[in-house]
Amino acid sequence: MKLNDFDMIRKETPLAILTHWALAVSCILLTISGFAFLYKLEVVAMFFGGFNVMKHIHNWMGVVFTISLAMTIPMWFRECIAFDEDDKKWIMVAGGYLSHKVAIPPMHKLNTGQKLAYLGVLGMGGGIIVSGFIIWLYPSSQTLMLLAHMLHNLCFIGIAIFIPVHVYLGAIANPGTMRIMIYGTVPVWWARKKSPKWIQEVEEGKATH
Amino acid sequence: MSKKSLLIIPEMCTGCRACQVACKSWNQLPAEKTSMKGDFSQPPDLSGTTFNKVRFTEMPSEKDSFRWLFVSQRCMHCEEAGCMKICPTPGALYRTKDGGVAANKEKCIGCHLCLAGCPFNVPRYGADGKLAKCSQCSDRTENGLPPACAKTCPPGAITFGDRDSMLARARKMGYEKVYGQNELGGLGVLFAFKDAPKVYGYDDKPSINEMVILWHKYLKPASWFGIGGVAIASALHYFAVGPHKADPPKQEGAPKKEAEEVKKDEA
Repeated sequence: MKLNDFDMIRKETPLAILTHWALAVSCILLTISGFAFLYKLEVVAMFFGGFNVMKHIHNWMGVVFTISLAMTIPMWFRECIAFDEDDKKWIMVAGGYLSHKVAIPPMHKLNTGQKLAYLGVLGMGGGIIVSGFIIWLYPSSQTLMLLAHMLHNLCFIGIAIFIPVHVYLGAIANPGTMRIMIYGTVPVWWARKKSPKWIQEVEEGKATH
Repeated sequence: MSKKSLLIIPEMCTGCRACQVACKSWNQLPAEKTSMKGDFSQPPDLSGTTFNKVRFTEMPSEKDSFRWLFVSQRCMHCEEAGCMKICPTPGALYRTKDGGVAANKEKCIGCHLCLAGCPFNVPRYGADGKLAKCSQCSDRTENGLPPACAKTCPPGAITFGDRDSMLARARKMGYEKVYGQNELGGLGVLFAFKDAPKVYGYDDKPSINEMVILWHKYLKPASWFGIGGVAIASALHYFAVGPHKADPPKQEGAPKKEAEEVKKDEA
Protein backbone atom coordinates (compact mmCIF):
# COMPACT_ATOMS: atom_id res chain seq x y z
CA MET A 1 0.00 0.00 0.00
CA LYS A 2 1.55 3.20 -1.19
CA LEU A 3 1.09 6.14 1.13
CA ASN A 4 0.12 9.50 -0.29
CA ASP A 5 2.96 11.98 0.14
CA PHE A 6 0.62 14.68 1.40
CA ASP A 7 -1.18 12.59 3.99
CA MET A 8 -0.23 12.79 7.61
CA ILE A 9 1.24 9.80 9.36
CA ARG A 10 1.28 9.32 13.12
CA LYS A 11 4.82 9.10 14.47
CA GLU A 12 4.18 9.30 18.21
CA THR A 13 1.17 8.37 20.32
CA PRO A 14 -0.57 10.96 22.52
CA LEU A 15 0.80 9.16 25.59
CA ALA A 16 4.33 9.47 24.23
CA ILE A 17 3.80 13.18 23.60
CA LEU A 18 2.49 13.70 27.13
CA THR A 19 5.40 11.72 28.60
CA HIS A 20 7.89 13.73 26.60
CA TRP A 21 6.36 17.00 27.84
CA ALA A 22 6.47 15.80 31.44
CA LEU A 23 10.10 14.81 30.93
CA ALA A 24 10.95 18.12 29.25
CA VAL A 25 9.27 20.38 31.81
CA SER A 26 10.62 18.50 34.82
CA CYS A 27 14.09 18.29 33.32
CA ILE A 28 14.25 22.01 32.55
CA LEU A 29 12.98 22.99 36.01
CA LEU A 30 15.45 20.55 37.58
CA THR A 31 18.32 21.94 35.52
CA ILE A 32 17.49 25.55 36.37
CA SER A 33 17.05 24.89 40.09
CA GLY A 34 20.12 22.65 40.03
CA PHE A 35 22.17 25.48 38.60
CA ALA A 36 20.78 27.80 41.26
CA PHE A 37 21.87 25.36 44.00
CA LEU A 38 25.26 24.85 42.43
CA TYR A 39 26.13 28.51 42.04
CA LYS A 40 23.96 29.90 44.86
CA LEU A 41 21.97 32.03 42.40
CA GLU A 42 19.61 34.00 44.62
CA VAL A 43 17.84 35.70 41.71
CA VAL A 44 16.90 32.34 40.22
CA ALA A 45 15.86 30.96 43.61
CA MET A 46 13.61 33.99 44.04
CA PHE A 47 11.47 32.82 41.11
CA PHE A 48 10.98 29.47 42.83
CA GLY A 49 10.05 31.17 46.12
CA GLY A 50 13.41 30.93 47.88
CA PHE A 51 15.84 28.11 48.48
CA ASN A 52 13.62 26.22 50.92
CA VAL A 53 10.72 26.02 48.48
CA MET A 54 13.09 25.37 45.59
CA LYS A 55 14.43 22.30 47.40
CA HIS A 56 10.94 20.80 47.54
CA ILE A 57 10.24 21.69 43.92
CA HIS A 58 13.57 20.14 42.92
CA ASN A 59 12.83 16.94 44.88
CA TRP A 60 9.30 16.47 43.60
CA MET A 61 10.18 17.40 40.04
CA GLY A 62 12.72 14.61 40.41
CA VAL A 63 9.80 12.27 41.07
CA VAL A 64 8.01 13.50 37.94
CA PHE A 65 11.25 13.04 35.98
CA THR A 66 11.68 9.51 37.37
CA ILE A 67 8.15 8.44 36.48
CA SER A 68 8.23 9.94 33.00
CA LEU A 69 11.67 8.50 32.25
CA ALA A 70 10.48 5.07 33.39
CA MET A 71 7.47 5.42 31.11
CA THR A 72 9.70 6.00 28.08
CA ILE A 73 11.39 2.62 28.49
CA PRO A 74 8.55 0.51 27.03
CA MET A 75 8.01 3.21 24.39
CA TRP A 76 11.47 3.71 22.96
CA PHE A 77 14.06 1.44 24.52
CA ARG A 78 13.73 -1.51 22.15
CA GLU A 79 13.97 0.71 19.13
CA CYS A 80 16.96 2.57 20.52
CA ILE A 81 19.17 -0.47 21.02
CA ALA A 82 18.70 -1.70 17.45
CA PHE A 83 21.76 -0.64 15.45
CA ASP A 84 22.76 -1.80 11.97
CA GLU A 85 25.22 -0.95 9.18
CA ASP A 86 23.38 2.23 8.27
CA ASP A 87 23.86 3.49 11.81
CA LYS A 88 27.61 3.07 11.40
CA LYS A 89 27.51 5.03 8.16
CA TRP A 90 25.37 7.68 9.83
CA ILE A 91 28.05 8.19 12.44
CA MET A 92 30.75 8.32 9.74
CA VAL A 93 29.00 11.26 8.06
CA ALA A 94 28.07 12.80 11.45
CA GLY A 95 24.42 12.58 10.53
CA GLY A 96 24.96 15.15 7.81
CA TYR A 97 25.03 17.89 10.42
CA LEU A 98 28.44 19.16 9.41
CA SER A 99 27.71 19.45 5.71
CA HIS A 100 24.60 19.31 3.59
CA LYS A 101 26.49 17.74 0.71
CA VAL A 102 26.99 14.26 2.15
CA ALA A 103 24.52 11.50 1.52
CA ILE A 104 22.75 10.44 4.71
CA PRO A 105 22.11 6.70 4.93
CA PRO A 106 18.43 5.69 5.18
CA MET A 107 17.14 5.70 8.74
CA HIS A 108 14.35 3.92 10.55
CA LYS A 109 11.79 5.74 12.65
CA LEU A 110 14.56 7.26 14.78
CA ASN A 111 17.98 8.19 13.46
CA THR A 112 21.25 7.09 15.04
CA GLY A 113 21.73 10.38 16.85
CA GLN A 114 18.27 10.18 18.37
CA LYS A 115 18.88 6.62 19.52
CA LEU A 116 22.22 7.47 21.10
CA ALA A 117 20.73 10.57 22.69
CA TYR A 118 17.95 8.49 24.22
CA LEU A 119 20.42 5.96 25.61
CA GLY A 120 22.51 8.82 26.95
CA VAL A 121 19.55 10.40 28.69
CA LEU A 122 18.52 7.03 30.06
CA GLY A 123 22.03 6.39 31.43
CA MET A 124 22.67 9.83 32.85
CA GLY A 125 19.06 10.17 33.96
CA GLY A 126 19.34 6.83 35.73
CA GLY A 127 22.50 7.97 37.50
CA ILE A 128 21.04 11.30 38.49
CA ILE A 129 17.82 9.67 39.72
CA VAL A 130 19.56 7.06 41.89
CA SER A 131 22.00 9.58 43.37
CA GLY A 132 19.23 12.15 43.81
CA PHE A 133 17.12 9.80 45.87
CA ILE A 134 20.14 8.87 48.00
CA ILE A 135 20.84 12.56 48.69
CA TRP A 136 17.18 13.09 49.52
CA LEU A 137 16.50 10.02 51.62
CA TYR A 138 19.86 8.97 53.15
CA PRO A 139 21.51 12.22 54.21
CA SER A 140 23.13 10.86 57.37
CA SER A 141 25.78 8.70 55.73
CA GLN A 142 28.75 10.88 54.83
CA THR A 143 30.33 8.41 52.41
CA LEU A 144 27.10 7.62 50.62
CA MET A 145 26.29 11.32 50.45
CA LEU A 146 29.66 12.24 48.94
CA LEU A 147 29.54 9.46 46.35
CA ALA A 148 25.96 10.27 45.44
CA HIS A 149 26.75 13.97 45.25
CA MET A 150 29.65 13.25 42.91
CA LEU A 151 27.54 11.03 40.67
CA HIS A 152 24.72 13.57 40.70
CA ASN A 153 27.12 16.29 39.59
CA LEU A 154 28.82 14.23 36.89
CA CYS A 155 25.48 13.26 35.40
CA PHE A 156 24.41 16.87 35.68
CA ILE A 157 27.30 17.99 33.50
CA GLY A 158 26.29 15.41 30.91
CA ILE A 159 22.68 16.54 30.96
CA ALA A 160 23.66 20.22 30.91
CA ILE A 161 25.52 19.51 27.67
CA PHE A 162 22.84 17.27 26.23
CA ILE A 163 19.78 19.45 26.82
CA PRO A 164 20.83 22.47 24.73
CA VAL A 165 22.05 20.18 21.94
CA HIS A 166 18.76 18.31 21.95
CA VAL A 167 16.67 21.48 22.03
CA TYR A 168 18.72 23.06 19.26
CA LEU A 169 18.58 20.01 16.99
CA GLY A 170 14.94 19.34 17.76
CA ALA A 171 13.51 22.82 17.60
CA ILE A 172 15.81 24.84 15.35
CA ALA A 173 18.16 22.76 13.24
CA ASN A 174 15.52 20.39 11.85
CA PRO A 175 12.44 22.35 10.73
CA GLY A 176 9.37 20.16 10.92
CA THR A 177 10.27 18.25 14.07
CA MET A 178 8.56 20.52 16.59
CA ARG A 179 5.14 19.49 15.34
CA ILE A 180 5.79 15.91 16.46
CA MET A 181 5.86 17.19 20.02
CA ILE A 182 2.50 18.90 19.51
CA TYR A 183 0.48 16.74 17.12
CA GLY A 184 2.52 13.56 16.94
CA THR A 185 1.98 13.45 13.18
CA VAL A 186 4.23 14.32 10.25
CA PRO A 187 3.61 14.60 6.49
CA VAL A 188 4.43 11.40 4.67
CA TRP A 189 6.85 13.17 2.30
CA TRP A 190 8.76 14.46 5.32
CA ALA A 191 8.90 11.05 6.96
CA ARG A 192 9.97 9.53 3.64
CA LYS A 193 12.94 11.86 3.67
CA LYS A 194 13.88 11.46 7.34
CA SER A 195 12.80 7.88 8.06
CA PRO A 196 12.70 6.06 4.70
CA LYS A 197 13.05 2.58 6.21
CA TRP A 198 10.09 3.12 8.49
CA ILE A 199 7.82 4.37 5.68
CA GLN A 200 8.93 1.44 3.54
CA GLU A 201 7.95 -0.98 6.28
CA VAL A 202 4.63 0.74 6.79
CA GLU A 203 3.95 0.51 3.06
CA GLU A 204 4.91 -3.14 3.04
CA GLY A 205 2.57 -3.68 5.96
CA LYS A 206 5.40 -4.81 8.27
CA ALA A 207 5.18 -1.91 10.68
CA THR A 208 2.24 -0.11 12.10
CA HIS A 209 2.23 3.59 12.58
CA MET B 1 38.64 40.99 59.55
CA SER B 2 40.90 39.63 62.18
CA LYS B 3 40.15 36.08 63.04
CA LYS B 4 39.70 35.32 66.69
CA SER B 5 40.18 31.90 68.17
CA LEU B 6 39.48 29.76 71.13
CA LEU B 7 42.58 28.25 72.70
CA ILE B 8 42.01 24.92 74.40
CA ILE B 9 44.65 23.29 76.56
CA PRO B 10 43.60 19.72 77.41
CA GLU B 11 46.29 19.38 80.08
CA MET B 12 44.61 22.13 82.06
CA CYS B 13 41.11 20.70 81.67
CA THR B 14 39.65 19.00 84.73
CA GLY B 15 36.77 17.41 82.86
CA CYS B 16 34.14 19.28 84.86
CA ARG B 17 31.94 19.89 81.80
CA ALA B 18 31.06 23.41 82.91
CA CYS B 19 31.62 24.45 79.25
CA GLN B 20 28.80 22.13 78.23
CA VAL B 21 26.47 23.56 80.85
CA ALA B 22 27.36 27.16 79.97
CA CYS B 23 26.84 26.44 76.25
CA LYS B 24 23.40 24.95 76.89
CA SER B 25 22.54 27.80 79.20
CA TRP B 26 23.55 30.61 76.85
CA ASN B 27 22.12 29.02 73.71
CA GLN B 28 18.97 27.90 75.58
CA LEU B 29 19.36 24.28 74.60
CA PRO B 30 17.45 21.52 76.41
CA ALA B 31 19.17 18.67 78.22
CA GLU B 32 19.35 15.31 76.50
CA LYS B 33 18.49 11.86 77.70
CA THR B 34 21.78 10.01 77.41
CA SER B 35 23.09 6.53 77.95
CA MET B 36 26.37 5.09 79.17
CA LYS B 37 28.44 4.04 76.17
CA GLY B 38 31.58 2.82 77.87
CA ASP B 39 33.29 6.12 78.64
CA PHE B 40 32.51 9.24 80.57
CA SER B 41 31.65 11.47 77.60
CA GLN B 42 28.15 12.71 78.29
CA PRO B 43 26.20 13.10 76.08
CA PRO B 44 28.17 10.60 73.96
CA ASP B 45 28.01 12.73 70.81
CA LEU B 46 27.35 16.25 69.55
CA SER B 47 23.75 16.80 68.53
CA GLY B 48 21.27 19.43 67.43
CA THR B 49 20.99 20.46 71.07
CA THR B 50 24.60 19.80 72.16
CA PHE B 51 27.09 22.14 70.50
CA ASN B 52 30.12 21.15 72.56
CA LYS B 53 31.17 18.27 74.71
CA VAL B 54 34.19 16.99 76.58
CA ARG B 55 35.64 13.76 75.25
CA PHE B 56 37.08 11.48 77.92
CA THR B 57 39.84 9.16 76.72
CA GLU B 58 41.59 6.65 78.93
CA MET B 59 45.22 5.98 77.99
CA PRO B 60 47.79 3.53 79.32
CA SER B 61 50.49 5.30 81.29
CA GLU B 62 53.93 4.29 82.58
CA LYS B 63 53.96 6.65 85.54
CA ASP B 64 50.43 6.26 86.81
CA SER B 65 47.83 3.57 86.64
CA PHE B 66 46.38 5.30 83.57
CA ARG B 67 46.19 8.66 81.86
CA TRP B 68 42.94 10.48 81.32
CA LEU B 69 42.57 12.96 78.46
CA PHE B 70 39.85 15.59 78.40
CA VAL B 71 39.21 17.34 75.11
CA SER B 72 36.53 19.98 74.81
CA GLN B 73 35.14 19.50 71.29
CA ARG B 74 33.05 21.78 69.11
CA CYS B 75 32.99 23.22 65.58
CA MET B 76 36.57 24.11 64.59
CA HIS B 77 35.56 27.26 62.63
CA CYS B 78 37.95 26.48 59.75
CA GLU B 79 39.22 29.27 57.53
CA GLU B 80 38.86 26.90 54.54
CA ALA B 81 35.52 25.54 55.61
CA GLY B 82 34.36 22.41 53.77
CA CYS B 83 30.80 22.97 54.95
CA MET B 84 30.69 26.44 53.42
CA LYS B 85 32.17 25.16 50.16
CA ILE B 86 29.59 22.45 49.73
CA CYS B 87 26.50 24.27 51.08
CA PRO B 88 24.08 25.04 48.22
CA THR B 89 22.26 27.87 49.98
CA PRO B 90 23.73 31.37 50.27
CA GLY B 91 23.63 32.66 53.81
CA ALA B 92 22.76 29.33 55.44
CA LEU B 93 26.35 29.22 56.65
CA TYR B 94 28.09 32.54 57.14
CA ARG B 95 31.21 34.13 58.59
CA THR B 96 30.85 35.90 61.89
CA LYS B 97 32.73 39.16 62.47
CA ASP B 98 35.42 37.19 64.28
CA GLY B 99 35.91 34.73 61.43
CA GLY B 100 33.83 31.94 62.92
CA VAL B 101 31.33 29.82 60.98
CA ALA B 102 27.70 30.18 62.02
CA ALA B 103 24.44 28.71 60.74
CA ASN B 104 21.20 30.51 59.90
CA LYS B 105 18.22 28.25 60.53
CA GLU B 106 15.92 30.40 58.40
CA LYS B 107 18.04 29.85 55.31
CA CYS B 108 19.21 26.26 55.87
CA ILE B 109 17.32 23.83 53.63
CA GLY B 110 18.30 20.77 55.65
CA CYS B 111 20.09 18.91 52.85
CA HIS B 112 22.85 17.63 55.20
CA LEU B 113 25.59 18.28 52.64
CA CYS B 114 27.65 20.22 55.20
CA LEU B 115 28.11 16.99 57.15
CA ALA B 116 29.69 15.45 54.05
CA GLY B 117 31.97 18.47 53.61
CA CYS B 118 33.16 18.68 57.23
CA PRO B 119 36.61 17.18 58.01
CA PHE B 120 35.77 16.97 61.74
CA ASN B 121 32.33 15.34 61.66
CA VAL B 122 30.73 18.29 63.45
CA PRO B 123 27.41 19.31 61.84
CA ARG B 124 24.30 18.04 63.60
CA TYR B 125 20.66 18.78 62.94
CA GLY B 126 17.77 19.79 65.14
CA ALA B 127 14.35 18.17 65.31
CA ASP B 128 13.32 20.51 62.47
CA GLY B 129 16.02 19.00 60.23
CA LYS B 130 17.99 22.26 60.15
CA LEU B 131 21.66 22.65 60.97
CA ALA B 132 22.27 23.66 64.60
CA LYS B 133 25.84 24.32 65.63
CA CYS B 134 28.34 26.32 67.65
CA SER B 135 28.63 29.89 66.38
CA GLN B 136 31.58 30.72 68.65
CA CYS B 137 28.84 32.61 70.57
CA SER B 138 28.90 35.33 67.92
CA ASP B 139 26.09 37.13 69.74
CA ARG B 140 28.39 37.46 72.75
CA THR B 141 31.71 38.07 70.98
CA GLU B 142 30.24 40.83 68.82
CA ASN B 143 29.49 42.63 72.06
CA GLY B 144 32.95 42.16 73.46
CA LEU B 145 32.16 39.15 75.65
CA PRO B 146 34.00 35.82 75.46
CA PRO B 147 32.06 32.74 74.31
CA ALA B 148 30.05 31.08 77.10
CA CYS B 149 32.39 28.08 77.33
CA ALA B 150 35.50 30.26 77.63
CA LYS B 151 33.83 32.58 80.11
CA THR B 152 32.88 29.77 82.43
CA CYS B 153 35.91 27.43 82.23
CA PRO B 154 37.11 27.26 85.88
CA PRO B 155 40.75 26.20 85.29
CA GLY B 156 41.13 28.51 82.29
CA ALA B 157 41.66 25.65 79.87
CA ILE B 158 39.47 27.48 77.31
CA THR B 159 40.32 31.06 76.46
CA PHE B 160 39.25 33.32 73.62
CA GLY B 161 40.91 36.22 71.84
CA ASP B 162 43.00 37.37 68.89
CA ARG B 163 44.77 34.49 67.23
CA ASP B 164 48.19 36.03 67.74
CA SER B 165 47.73 36.52 71.47
CA MET B 166 46.31 33.00 71.79
CA LEU B 167 49.30 31.55 69.95
CA ALA B 168 51.64 33.61 72.09
CA ARG B 169 49.92 32.32 75.22
CA ALA B 170 50.36 28.70 74.12
CA ARG B 171 54.01 29.30 73.27
CA LYS B 172 54.61 30.97 76.62
CA MET B 173 53.27 27.85 78.29
CA GLY B 174 55.75 25.70 76.42
CA TYR B 175 53.67 24.39 73.52
CA GLU B 176 55.80 24.71 70.38
CA LYS B 177 53.24 23.34 67.97
CA VAL B 178 49.65 24.48 68.17
CA TYR B 179 47.05 22.40 66.37
CA GLY B 180 45.03 24.65 64.14
CA GLN B 181 47.68 27.29 63.50
CA ASN B 182 48.00 26.34 59.83
CA GLU B 183 45.54 23.48 59.37
CA LEU B 184 42.85 24.25 56.78
CA GLY B 185 43.98 27.84 56.44
CA GLY B 186 43.92 28.32 60.19
CA LEU B 187 41.28 27.05 62.58
CA GLY B 188 39.09 29.13 64.87
CA VAL B 189 39.83 26.60 67.62
CA LEU B 190 43.47 26.15 68.59
CA PHE B 191 44.51 23.06 70.53
CA ALA B 192 47.70 23.00 72.58
CA PHE B 193 48.36 19.27 72.52
CA LYS B 194 51.14 17.67 74.54
CA ASP B 195 51.18 14.59 72.29
CA ALA B 196 50.41 13.93 68.64
CA PRO B 197 46.91 15.13 67.65
CA LYS B 198 45.95 11.50 66.92
CA VAL B 199 46.19 10.72 70.62
CA TYR B 200 43.48 13.28 71.28
CA GLY B 201 41.31 12.02 68.45
CA TYR B 202 42.23 14.58 65.79
CA ASP B 203 43.76 13.95 62.35
CA ASP B 204 47.38 15.00 61.96
CA LYS B 205 46.51 16.60 58.66
CA PRO B 206 42.80 17.30 58.52
CA SER B 207 41.52 17.85 54.98
CA ILE B 208 38.31 18.37 53.12
CA ASN B 209 37.34 15.25 51.19
CA GLU B 210 38.99 15.10 47.75
CA MET B 211 35.64 14.63 46.06
CA VAL B 212 34.44 18.01 47.34
CA ILE B 213 37.63 19.69 46.08
CA LEU B 214 37.53 17.89 42.74
CA TRP B 215 34.00 18.97 42.14
CA HIS B 216 34.24 22.57 43.25
CA LYS B 217 37.59 23.35 41.73
CA TYR B 218 37.60 21.42 38.50
CA LEU B 219 34.24 19.99 37.53
CA LYS B 220 31.93 22.85 38.44
CA PRO B 221 33.18 25.08 35.61
CA ALA B 222 32.48 22.19 33.23
CA SER B 223 28.74 22.57 33.75
CA TRP B 224 28.92 26.19 32.57
CA PHE B 225 30.91 24.98 29.60
CA GLY B 226 28.07 22.53 29.05
CA ILE B 227 25.35 25.09 28.59
CA GLY B 228 27.48 28.00 27.40
CA GLY B 229 29.74 26.05 25.06
CA VAL B 230 26.87 24.20 23.47
CA ALA B 231 24.89 27.40 22.98
CA ILE B 232 27.85 28.93 21.14
CA ALA B 233 28.44 25.74 19.13
CA SER B 234 24.76 25.66 18.16
CA ALA B 235 24.81 29.26 17.00
CA LEU B 236 27.98 28.61 14.98
CA HIS B 237 26.40 25.53 13.44
CA TYR B 238 23.24 27.42 12.54
CA PHE B 239 25.08 30.14 10.69
CA ALA B 240 27.97 28.09 9.26
CA VAL B 241 26.10 24.94 8.18
CA GLY B 242 22.46 25.83 8.61
CA PRO B 243 19.40 23.76 9.42
CA HIS B 244 18.40 20.54 7.70
CA LYS B 245 15.61 21.92 5.59
CA ALA B 246 13.14 19.45 4.18
CA ASP B 247 11.12 20.85 1.30
CA PRO B 248 7.92 19.16 0.19
CA PRO B 249 8.20 17.42 -3.16
CA LYS B 250 6.85 19.28 -6.16
CA GLN B 251 4.33 16.89 -7.65
CA GLU B 252 1.44 17.38 -9.99
CA GLY B 253 0.53 20.76 -8.51
CA ALA B 254 0.45 19.46 -5.00
CA PRO B 255 -1.21 22.23 -3.04
CA LYS B 256 0.22 22.98 0.37
CA LYS B 257 -3.27 23.27 1.76
CA GLU B 258 -3.92 19.58 1.32
CA ALA B 259 -1.58 18.69 4.13
CA GLU B 260 -3.39 21.09 6.42
CA GLU B 261 -6.73 19.57 5.55
CA VAL B 262 -5.60 16.04 6.22
CA LYS B 263 -4.38 17.18 9.58
CA LYS B 264 -7.76 18.65 10.38
CA ASP B 265 -9.47 15.44 9.33
CA GLU B 266 -7.33 13.47 11.68
CA ALA B 267 -8.12 15.75 14.52
